[in-house]
Amino acid sequence: MLVVACIKQVPDTTQVQIDPVTNTLVREGIPFIVNPYDTHALEESLRLKDKFGFRVVAMSMGPPNAEATLRKAMAAGVDEAILLSDRVFGGADTLATSNVLSAAITRLNKTEPVGIVFCGKQTIDGDTAQVGPGIATRLGFTQLTLVDRIINLDLSRKVIRVRRKLEGRHEIVEAPLPVMITVVRELNRPRYPKVPMRLESANSEVKVWNNEVLKLDVNKIGLKGSPTWVSRIFSPEREKGEIIGDGINDPVGTAHLLVDKLRSKDLLAL
Amino acid sequence: MKTLLVCEYREGKLLDSSYELVAFAERLGAEKALVIIGSEPEAPKVNGKVYVAAAATYGEYNPDLHKKLVLEAVQRENPDYIVFLHSSYGWDLAPRVAAALKAGQVSEVVGIVDGKLEVGFCNAKLRRIVSAKSARTVVTIQAGAFSFTGEATGTPQIEKLDTTAASSVEFIGYEPAEAKDVDLTRAEVIVSAGRGIGKKDNVPVIAALAKALGGELGASRPVVDSGWVEHSHQVGTTGQSVSPKLYVACGISGAIQHLAGMKKSDFVVAINKDKDAPIGEIADVLVVADVMQFVPAMTAKLMK
Repeated sequence: MLVVACIKQVPDTTQVQIDPVTNTLVREGIPFIVNPYDTHALEESLRLKDKFGFRVVAMSMGPPNAEATLRKAMAAGVDEAILLSDRVFGGADTLATSNVLSAAITRLNKTEPVGIVFCGKQTIDGDTAQVGPGIATRLGFTQLTLVDRIINLDLSRKVIRVRRKLEGRHEIVEAPLPVMITVVRELNRPRYPKVPMRLESANSEVKVWNNEVLKLDVNKIGLKGSPTWVSRIFSPEREKGEIIGDGINDPVGTAHLLVDKLRSKDLLAL
Repeated sequence: MKTLLVCEYREGKLLDSSYELVAFAERLGAEKALVIIGSEPEAPKVNGKVYVAAAATYGEYNPDLHKKLVLEAVQRENPDYIVFLHSSYGWDLAPRVAAALKAGQVSEVVGIVDGKLEVGFCNAKLRRIVSAKSARTVVTIQAGAFSFTGEATGTPQIEKLDTTAASSVEFIGYEPAEAKDVDLTRAEVIVSAGRGIGKKDNVPVIAALAKALGGELGASRPVVDSGWVEHSHQVGTTGQSVSPKLYVACGISGAIQHLAGMKKSDFVVAINKDKDAPIGEIADVLVVADVMQFVPAMTAKLMK
């Protein structure tokens, strides 16, 4: 059985800066990292490899320089790394991206059945949280989102039991393989690649599949295959250092203001 | 323009946040119809059409069934937008509906600008305006971004929904959220105590706020050195470097060593009686207050 970890190269958003004059994103010099949620997807794939001996393939769609991201996955211990890269894949939204990833997974599936596809629950640069579910629908895999624990994988019955992280509680569900799982950070702690493996990975091959390999209809990929588009990027009003309420004379009223503020920032029930 | 609003229901109750969907539709200037799925769900008190799927089997989340019910309502209403809350429910269900409809999805919408959807980007440091060219668009809205200011006193016009679908997922049960180990580097919320809390006996007050926010207790070095809190909770250059989504500094003035350990936090709240304390320079929000008066009030509000 094959396990596929989908990973994405993203700009390190903690270092993203806005040009104060032009009010645009400063792109130069921003380091790229593996999307943090995807590192947990990768780690869980490797744990299943350690436990069951599955072969693990790391897969990423991106520009040629996303190869660096896949090398990190090789250093961590995946058996194979595949970069899906072609100009016609560019400008894709989540729907078009999941079309390409699904086609690549289908191709792998022809030589060895894919049992589990892991994705991060979201990416830090786009936050659409839709690529994993899109893959599940296209492949007909059972969709399990927000997983924070794999309770049991029963290979004789071909079922997996997982725990999903909901608001203030967890849900335990069981589903037949194959499945597509999106993971949250609590699932595991990613390993650090050992130095010899890092050196070895510098020389190992990252396969590149372009659209001559996948042969997808150009109307279903890239910009053309994307139903959504971004018309403008801008910097929100800066709110730093704002003093809320009058905490000295009205602690209760100010507490209410702060709770409302945190709720509006989606910072409650994390 | 028409919206189909997918309300949310948990443990026998309509979630108040369902009214935020109504606020979204109003901000968009669109007509609305609502859907609610659950065992004996309470219909939202709004004027207009509300599709109610009420049956014992709809109570626990059965994704295949819920998807089919929403699609049934889509077919009857022919909406331009199908709108969910950006919760675990919407997170799981919205993309299933989008895929079934071959619709574009715009997630975690925070605002509407000239009739277009505004979403956060790059950890909410930036915003972008997203449009969709598909016949329908699936939307999830950020909790709290659209506040419903009216009164929920309308009379819904109820239509029943019913369907059957085999479930690919078997529901086993729920587990309460458990206490986590202290690993501040992975915490999404940290509430830290500084010397401004006054004395060791006040530590549980700060810990209670951490718990109410679903986070971990952190501490500044002086508090740890005084033996008020264990070292495993210390944030800063001699403790742990952290990057939670929310960092609440209680009575911490903000020594440079402490700031170095927490400045990567996404959102910083500082509670301090001195408005000129260095922590205020990196805080997103500053509350000028007596920590021991303010923190219990905040915990009480959260527990309500």
